[in-house]
Amino acid sequence: MKAKWQIVFFKEFRETLRDKRSLGLLLLFTLMYPVMLGVILNQQIKRATKPEREGIELAVIGAAQAPNLMAQLKQRNISVDQQGPMDEAAITQLLRSRKVVAVLRITDKFAENYQAMRPARVELWFDSAADNGARQRDVEEVLHAYSSSVASARLLAHGVSPATVAPLQLQRYDTGTTAARSAGLIGSILGFLFFPAFICGLSAAVDSTAGERERRSLEVLMAQPARTWELVIGKWLAAGALAVIGITLELFLAHAILSWLPLEEIGMSWRVTTFDLVMVCVASVPLSLFASSVQIAVAMNAKSFKEAQSMLSFVVMLPMIPGIAVSMLELKTALWMYAVPMLSNQTLLREIARGEAIGALPFVLTFFSAMLPAIAAAAFATWRMKSERYVLAV
Amino acid sequence: MIETKEVRKQFGAVQALGGVSFQARDGQITALLGPNGAGKTTLLRLLVGLLKRDHGSISVDGVDPAVDPMAVRRNMGLLTDQFGLYERLSTREYLTYFGELNGMAGPSLQSRIDEVADLLAMHDIVERRAKGFSQGQRIKVALARTLLHRPRHLLLDEPSRGLDVMSTRALRSALHALRNDGCCVIMATHVMQEVTHLCDDVIVIARGHTVAQGSPQQLCERTGIASLEDAFVSLVGTEEGIVA
Repeated sequence: MKAKWQIVFFKEFRETLRDKRSLGLLLLFTLMYPVMLGVILNQQIKRATKPEREGIELAVIGAAQAPNLMAQLKQRNISVDQQGPMDEAAITQLLRSRKVVAVLRITDKFAENYQAMRPARVELWFDSAADNGARQRDVEEVLHAYSSSVASARLLAHGVSPATVAPLQLQRYDTGTTAARSAGLIGSILGFLFFPAFICGLSAAVDSTAGERERRSLEVLMAQPARTWELVIGKWLAAGALAVIGITLELFLAHAILSWLPLEEIGMSWRVTTFDLVMVCVASVPLSLFASSVQIAVAMNAKSFKEAQSMLSFVVMLPMIPGIAVSMLELKTALWMYAVPMLSNQTLLREIARGEAIGALPFVLTFFSAMLPAIAAAAFATWRMKSERYVLAV
Repeated sequence: MIETKEVRKQFGAVQALGGVSFQARDGQITALLGPNGAGKTTLLRLLVGLLKRDHGSISVDGVDPAVDPMAVRRNMGLLTDQFGLYERLSTREYLTYFGELNGMAGPSLQSRIDEVADLLAMHDIVERRAKGFSQGQRIKVALARTLLHRPRHLLLDEPSRGLDVMSTRALRSALHALRNDGCCVIMATHVMQEVTHLCDDVIVIARGHTVAQGSPQQLCERTGIASLEDAFVSLVGTEEGIVA
């Protein structure tokens, strides 16, 4: 003999699975994010690893006038592509084809001015819309270095120490570690990874409450020999189960993609084992249940499917706020973060991805911080459905 | 046997029921007559324990629905003015759902579904999903749900609306069978012909009060009017000040 809540659960679950269109959309939404993430990260990795492999392509017009400069460029791993005279349109065309990083035009009187120790003009043509600012700066640095070494030689020839014209010596130190950069990026990625908990059960939660009310079948159901809490729990768990399935699918897909990508190349880390991930999924089950019970408690008060959806589209955004606030205020990870639903899941996964040993307490806190409000919301929904005012409006 | 005494129910300032007393006996079909807004829906909701009365007493086979609604509902079939079908479930799945909620299960539930389908002549729609059902088909499914768990009490709100001649006859014979089984049937309706043909007893309520109870013939005699319809109008009109 099945319990009443099980009967309601299986019926709601089956009915939702038959709504092929919304199920397809859910699947698309759930799978799209990790795939998109993979594509974007993969592009970044490719871009980050490109310069070392290929060097910098630079087109040079009038190279014959400055053989020393050309030698200097080649020495710095910049391959020079010699071109004949070109007008502005032709240069623009060449840059737009993205075959070269920039075009260096050595003006006609370069050699003459250089010999006479007048400033010899070179023009650097580049396309700032193209995404190769770093390599273009490399080219400029080589030009500056060449310029100052020639200046030093000339000064020495006149018996002046080159140090006189260099009162400052600039040395750059970058303290941004790969771990810190990784934390920032991974943190923003994780913010959305837990979103399916709030999306996947949504249509089931709305359909089984506001939808049932709109179709006028709720009164019949409430007049059956089943207690209100049995109805609420059945509907709640049906919506929650979909959310659990959605988020677990997404986490595993994201895990597969992030483990496969060589993230170290862009200074990120994904040190999550499959066991870690299973533990995170288990600790995240209450998040799905929390989302569903809040959705049911809100949607049951709406008179129609449409009304419920517009009410919930606002509620769905709320859980994102703590995560965004924490990253904007740049707060350090603290224990209290594990007591805030959603934020706790994000923090948990981020710390594991970083490779931190966090122990069992965060898992336990994450689990119960969502489970308790989930139960409270379900209790509220039951209390509300029992009330006479609600029965009258059904 | 359903018995109410001086039942009152107030929503805020609105008096929905101001004193409803009647007896609906087993083995009888009792018609519940009343103009729109007379308080029929409120009364039916009180009888299944969805609402709680302010005053008076209700007894369904000796059980008070306000005290033990589950016991009352297990023995009650309720057909509301809305059918409450699920478009993505087939008729059989729909009936299985409500059968299970009423404590039925397994092969006995399935054979009971076939039995009810026989009774209401609806075998053609048992395996179909409710999407696209006609009004008549919808009410048949809802009726089947009402009868499924062999309730001793039936509360039917306009069960014959939208039914064609054949289905009306099938419904009528089903109601006769229930009466012969000794069920207590309360049927809200607006069709006087149905009342004369089918019902043993009539309760007339208007503006939240019972104004009369008796057989169709008694009502006619009491008002001195030959047609039940005119008698009804006069009962509702004289005591409530409504000029029909």
